[in-house]
Amino acid sequence: MSRQPYFRALGAALLAAAATLAVGDVAAAADVKRGGTLVLARPEEPLTFNPFVPADNGSIYAIEQVCDSLTEADATGLGLRPGLAESWEISADTLTYVFKLRDAQFSNGQPVTVDDVVFSLRTAGGPTAAYAFGFEPILAVEAADDSHVTITLKRPYTPLLSVLSLFAAAIVEKASFEADTDGFGQKPVCSGPFRVEEYARGSSVVMVRNDNYWDIGVDGQPLPYLDRIEMLYVPESNSRVLGLRSGDYDVIASVPFNQARQLEGDSEVTLEAQPIFRLDYVYLNHGKAPLDKKEIRLALNYAADREAILKTVYFGFGEIPNSYMPKVNYHSDTVEQIPYDIEKAKELVAAAGYDGTPIDLMLSTGDAPGKQIATILQQAWQAAGLNVNIVEFESGTAWDMTTKGEYQAYVSYITSDINDTDELAVIQADVNSGTNAFFTWYNNPEVIDLLAKARQSADSNERAGLYAKVQDIAYHDGYSVPLNFVPSVNAYHNYVSGWRTVANGWWWLKDVSVDK
Amino acid sequence: MAIIEYILGRILQMVPVLIGVSLVAFLSIHLVPGDPVQIMMHGRATEEVLATVRGELGLDRPLPIQYLRFVGGAMVGDLGKSIIQKAPVDEIIGERLGPSLFLLVYSAVLAVVIALPLAVVAALKAEGPIDHGIRIVGIIGFAMPPFWVGLLLMVLFGLVLRWFPISGYGRTFIEHLWHLFLPSLTIAAFLAPILVQSLRSAMLDVMTADYIEVARAKGLSRRRIVLKHVLRNAAIPVITVLAVNIGWLLGGAVVVEYVFAFPGLGSLLVRAVGHRDYPVIQGLSLVFAVIVMVINLLADLSYMAIDRRVLRR
Repeated sequence: MSRQPYFRALGAALLAAAATLAVGDVAAAADVKRGGTLVLARPEEPLTFNPFVPADNGSIYAIEQVCDSLTEADATGLGLRPGLAESWEISADTLTYVFKLRDAQFSNGQPVTVDDVVFSLRTAGGPTAAYAFGFEPILAVEAADDSHVTITLKRPYTPLLSVLSLFAAAIVEKASFEADTDGFGQKPVCSGPFRVEEYARGSSVVMVRNDNYWDIGVDGQPLPYLDRIEMLYVPESNSRVLGLRSGDYDVIASVPFNQARQLEGDSEVTLEAQPIFRLDYVYLNHGKAPLDKKEIRLALNYAADREAILKTVYFGFGEIPNSYMPKVNYHSDTVEQIPYDIEKAKELVAAAGYDGTPIDLMLSTGDAPGKQIATILQQAWQAAGLNVNIVEFESGTAWDMTTKGEYQAYVSYITSDINDTDELAVIQADVNSGTNAFFTWYNNPEVIDLLAKARQSADSNERAGLYAKVQDIAYHDGYSVPLNFVPSVNAYHNYVSGWRTVANGWWWLKDVSVDK
Repeated sequence: MAIIEYILGRILQMVPVLIGVSLVAFLSIHLVPGDPVQIMMHGRATEEVLATVRGELGLDRPLPIQYLRFVGGAMVGDLGKSIIQKAPVDEIIGERLGPSLFLLVYSAVLAVVIALPLAVVAALKAEGPIDHGIRIVGIIGFAMPPFWVGLLLMVLFGLVLRWFPISGYGRTFIEHLWHLFLPSLTIAAFLAPILVQSLRSAMLDVMTADYIEVARAKGLSRRRIVLKHVLRNAAIPVITVLAVNIGWLLGGAVVVEYVFAFPGLGSLLVRAVGHRDYPVIQGLSLVFAVIVMVINLLADLSYMAIDRRVLRR
């Protein structure tokens, strides 16, 4: 077993990100205002704090403030840093990882032990866990001694360190979890910067400072800076904007694009438009005619006027994509974009021998931007010579039809939960991954082969090359109709410091301070 | 005591209605496409994981078995557990029942307070300019979407004047009154015009009745006639209108709940349906049914208080 400092395994890209971050930290090391309450209004409702249950952002973003994991996203979310694991060693064959735990405590004062870690990670990979797929390559999680945990793998699996930073890999206190598993969702016992004081389902979560938290702030004192967070569930976007203006809320998440430009002009608030791992795109079902033909799928891409969509639907927020998946760490900028070319689209439709089979473009009822997008696309695709109907279904029904392959095209999106391309590349492009290439039934053996190589390679240059190739092939196979790399748009009062949306979509509230 | 027999009879009548409601709610939500486990895991889980979780939740059983389990539980007061929140359904509903009922009663009271004087004036000055003015304002109030009215009230009273909070529920009774004023006013703005019109026309009907002529002939004051005879007799159709609307508003207040970030039953239902959280949907449909029936019972009882003859019918 060779001794390796943790960062050597991470690859140059992450290292570079970490270096920039270090510089940023020094610059920010002025005095920080401690104490106070942050009132944060969000459009999503946290449903549970049990990290092994959910896959909804309402819960995930809240869990991130309360629960720790062995590794964690750094301040940008692009890189990793040590979490509850102070350091780790990777064996030469990359099949064994040994993590040294730091001296940390849970919010109830109990120490974080190897037992808690082993229990949590086994649960995260258990038969009912939503994110078990990420833990599938793990052969065993065992305690090596009182302060070391060993993870052995079935096969080399480089994304492991990123997977361990997932909310689903949170380390929970075994005793509390086992004593009341259902209750844990309301009153979690973790070791993160905050603990849940009051959880009023459907309206708010009050979190208070976890005095036992291990991490240190820029002023040399323990984090977090805030004493208290009121995380409010405010579903109506106009109400959030009004609440920010009235001073009821310090921060609002998910500012609607049409109001964001207005808020930019408000001198009391700061608008944040932060790129995150999100792609809005039209899912295509390759199993359904006429989308089984590559020419037709490409025609849909050539005919899509993305500039118009970016301008009218997203009010200019975002970036026209050159990929089938969000911009995660191994994203390649060099993959050539499919341009807007209606003539080319017409040629492709003719070349495919299109027989007039209509395409039902589906969207979820109430998805106003989706409706605009669908309308623009319908016109463009009809101009290319295709028959297109817009169909609306309630979101649960639309999702059901999607997962069962009973759809043709669906205006939707995807986000990555980890800062490694692997999660989505495999979910989206590997038809054997369990979700039928994210319900597209896209099946390209070459891509599957490249992905298998990439997740086993420890060489970041090699991985970058492999993922770039997959990106190029899948994108130009007309995997989907990518529309926009959508940023997260949030707004906060100027007295809030340290607010930053990490690339995974959530925020490190431990870095936030308020000076009212 | 006839009245107690009557109430007991009405409560007994609720049982078959509840069985019907539970069956319809169960079937309709299970027959709609959508899988709570797939929604919960949002396309991340493999088929094996999905199947295991469905098995744990009993969702792989035949529908009749699932229904009987639900009914069996409900009969002993166990509505099951939320699929995603894992908390008992009665607890989840219970948390929101109080606030929702508070909002409803508050809205109804505000609506009556607004509607009563307007209706009396409109009826007494029927077809005059004041009557027409009240009707036009009423039509505007009724026609504006509650969503819009709510936002306007928020801007005016929350942002500009800063008299009332724009969200939340508060902790004490007084705080509830303060926090819920704007949402209640929003609902009242929609409810009051209906009440004004029904009370006005009922009053006009009553005012032409023979017994009012008799009262006038006896030389009773106009004030006494309106308060004691006209309003009392005109109240019955108005109570019916109010009862029907309150029943509807229980789930229908969802737009107002969203605008004011208010944790009510309407938004819970929408959330539960979106997630196909079957136990919560089933529990809510029972609760809604009971509340609607209780409101109707109360309405009928109030008819009796007003007019003893109802009991004899």
